[in-house]
Amino acid sequence: MSDLTEDQIRSDLDSILERRSAGTRLTTMGAGSDDLDDGRRYLATTVDGGWHVPTWPQQHGGRGASPSQNALIGRLLREFVVPDLYPFAIGLGMVGPALLAHGTETQQDEWLRPIASGASIWCQMFSEPEAGSDLANVALKADQDGEEWVLSGQKTWTSRAMWADWAICLARTDPDQPKHKGLTMFSLPIDTPGVEVRPLTQMNRDAHFSEVFVSDARVLDSWRIGERGEGWRVAMTVLAHERAGGGSRGGGDGNARGVRVPGWISDLQALGVAEEQVWRDEVSKIYAHDSVSRWTSQRAADEARATGVPGPAGSGAKLRTVKSYKDRAYLTNRSGGSYGMLSEGPGYIETMTAPSMSIRGGTDEIQRNILGERVLGLPGEPRLDRDAPWRESRRGLL
Amino acid sequence: MTEATGVDELVTETADRLFTQICDHESVQNAEAAGAAPEIWSAFAETGFPWISIDEDRGGSGGTLLDALEVLRLVGYHAAPIPAAETGVLGGWLLASSGHEIPAGPVTVLPNGNNITASVSGDQMTLAGTCTRVPWARIAERIAVLVEVDGQSMVASVNPKDCVIQPMTNMAGEPRDTVCFDGAIAPASPCVAGVNPESFRFRGALSRAALMAGAIEKMSQLTVTYTNDRIQFGRPVARFQAVQQHLVWGAQEAALARMAAETAGREANRGPAFFEIAAAKLITNQAAARATKACHQAHGAMGMTQEYPLHHYSRRLWSWRKEYGGDAEWSKWLGNAAVSQGAEGLYALVTGGSSVLS
Repeated sequence: MSDLTEDQIRSDLDSILERRSAGTRLTTMGAGSDDLDDGRRYLATTVDGGWHVPTWPQQHGGRGASPSQNALIGRLLREFVVPDLYPFAIGLGMVGPALLAHGTETQQDEWLRPIASGASIWCQMFSEPEAGSDLANVALKADQDGEEWVLSGQKTWTSRAMWADWAICLARTDPDQPKHKGLTMFSLPIDTPGVEVRPLTQMNRDAHFSEVFVSDARVLDSWRIGERGEGWRVAMTVLAHERAGGGSRGGGDGNARGVRVPGWISDLQALGVAEEQVWRDEVSKIYAHDSVSRWTSQRAADEARATGVPGPAGSGAKLRTVKSYKDRAYLTNRSGGSYGMLSEGPGYIETMTAPSMSIRGGTDEIQRNILGERVLGLPGEPRLDRDAPWRESRRGLL
Repeated sequence: MTEATGVDELVTETADRLFTQICDHESVQNAEAAGAAPEIWSAFAETGFPWISIDEDRGGSGGTLLDALEVLRLVGYHAAPIPAAETGVLGGWLLASSGHEIPAGPVTVLPNGNNITASVSGDQMTLAGTCTRVPWARIAERIAVLVEVDGQSMVASVNPKDCVIQPMTNMAGEPRDTVCFDGAIAPASPCVAGVNPESFRFRGALSRAALMAGAIEKMSQLTVTYTNDRIQFGRPVARFQAVQQHLVWGAQEAALARMAAETAGREANRGPAFFEIAAAKLITNQAAARATKACHQAHGAMGMTQEYPLHHYSRRLWSWRKEYGGDAEWSKWLGNAAVSQGAEGLYALVTGGSSVLS
């Protein structure tokens, strides 16, 4: 497709989407919401034009856009109402790019378009009770049986599992290899016999993540993503896209082009607190940080598009985006004075969600390790278990 | 009573043991769903704990304010879902200092009763107005309503059955109900000197500082235990320096909050302690913010689930932090107090506290 001008894109988007206004309010990362319809409607509306995932090939729900065209579309989309796509985010932001990098043509043909159109929701079966930050320690095993694999084990913190149609699952295929080397990535329908999803209720009352119990679930070899033993490489692609996507399109409110005052500030104005000097200082500080955070995210996303591989800038973007969210949540909650203590008070759901932001998708500590090692060139954390067979290292060598 | 701390250690040891037995994660979780914990209240009340610091000849259990605050610290430490502060050092105190009978059941008070209007006729008071965020009103036997009538502080002992109560909750799921008084008539009598809306506000803040000190301490301990048990990258996560830094934050905030709450309690037990209480509430408020941040981060995803008890403490702290004065209110009060002493008086105020102000 040849590049369109700004005016052409805007006019095309105008014909299918609603403009964002100062009054636009959306949840962030699904907090407090179980709504799938808004996102599904938006994706179904934009998929024919390939507007939400412009760099994907046209037959898969994109428009084969160049990096610069993609960046322009991304900027212009901020003028329109893009719902919180939290339920769809794993497919759109992580599995999709990983399939484009590591999937077979058949897999791309089968899975990408339903992701882009919102028809299928994906989840990510990565973390386990003994493998959180230490993801490479996963123990869920996969044994080959002819054209099938038999999976058994337990996953946890599997967000969106109860909405999902499909999962990507990181499994141990060779326990005698060192922990990073004996892993393989699979896709499987979440309703595969032997897969049981048990939602966990969170502090904010959402039940958006689950434990997933897998006992002798049979998975086709044609659903394997990448080669046997390449699971860690595929997982790193997925996680790099997760970090880079942290502050990108959709979700949040305000801060759009053409909307001068973000919604969270006009809320504070309505409460009257924005008139006090101390509050103004805090609001301005957060607004400034918020703006830098958005630019950092855009820069990380642009870099990822230019090189095709998300880099460590995504870690910086995630740290900043998270700090922005938390600062806004706490300020909004405090703005209510003693009403802020009530479960009906301002910023309740955001305050209850805020601590999780520094944990999910890689903790702040993990992001800082990535920045330290890959940007600053600091010595890496000592990893004594890197070369030992996983069978020996799994319980800890120290 | 031991000379060293001024606290009756037999009382606090008994309370600690009681809560350890009856107030586990599951019972606190259940109390939140049910909106009350009658078994925990009964066990607590049976031994007379709620009425410590109220004279025995007034229907209380005796003991000092220090003993009562130490029990409140343990209530916070165990996240006990009961109106301990309301029944004793707040409501019981109001009723006793105005000659009312102390009821056998829970008592509550109005943390923000400014918009209540009252008219007095003989020893009866007629009340009007609506109060929000009233702790545990739905289970209270009496609401001790403190109002000023013609410059005289008076307490009415209101039967909640004469009010309309709308159940609401704070962030921790504890009852913070809306109470509509319109037309309620209750026996009322004047308070002894020194008991008035101003001293009540400070006493409320002191009660919250004690609760918060306990909750922060428990959070810190949970975090140390969890990070020593949790193995990632082949070792307990507590061995990572980045995690150790969180542990230090949790522990130092716990120490700071307890020191501030105890200092304020000691001064209040002796006499006016406005300065120490204002400082204690601000310090525990701020300690709560820093400690919840550090403890949640060190727990990772586990701390965000309802299955693990950390949230009982963090959500209570976020709520109590805003009760009886948030950061801004006490910062302003302390700022005004400092300004009132002038530059020369600042050092004397910081070292001498309330004795300089009065």
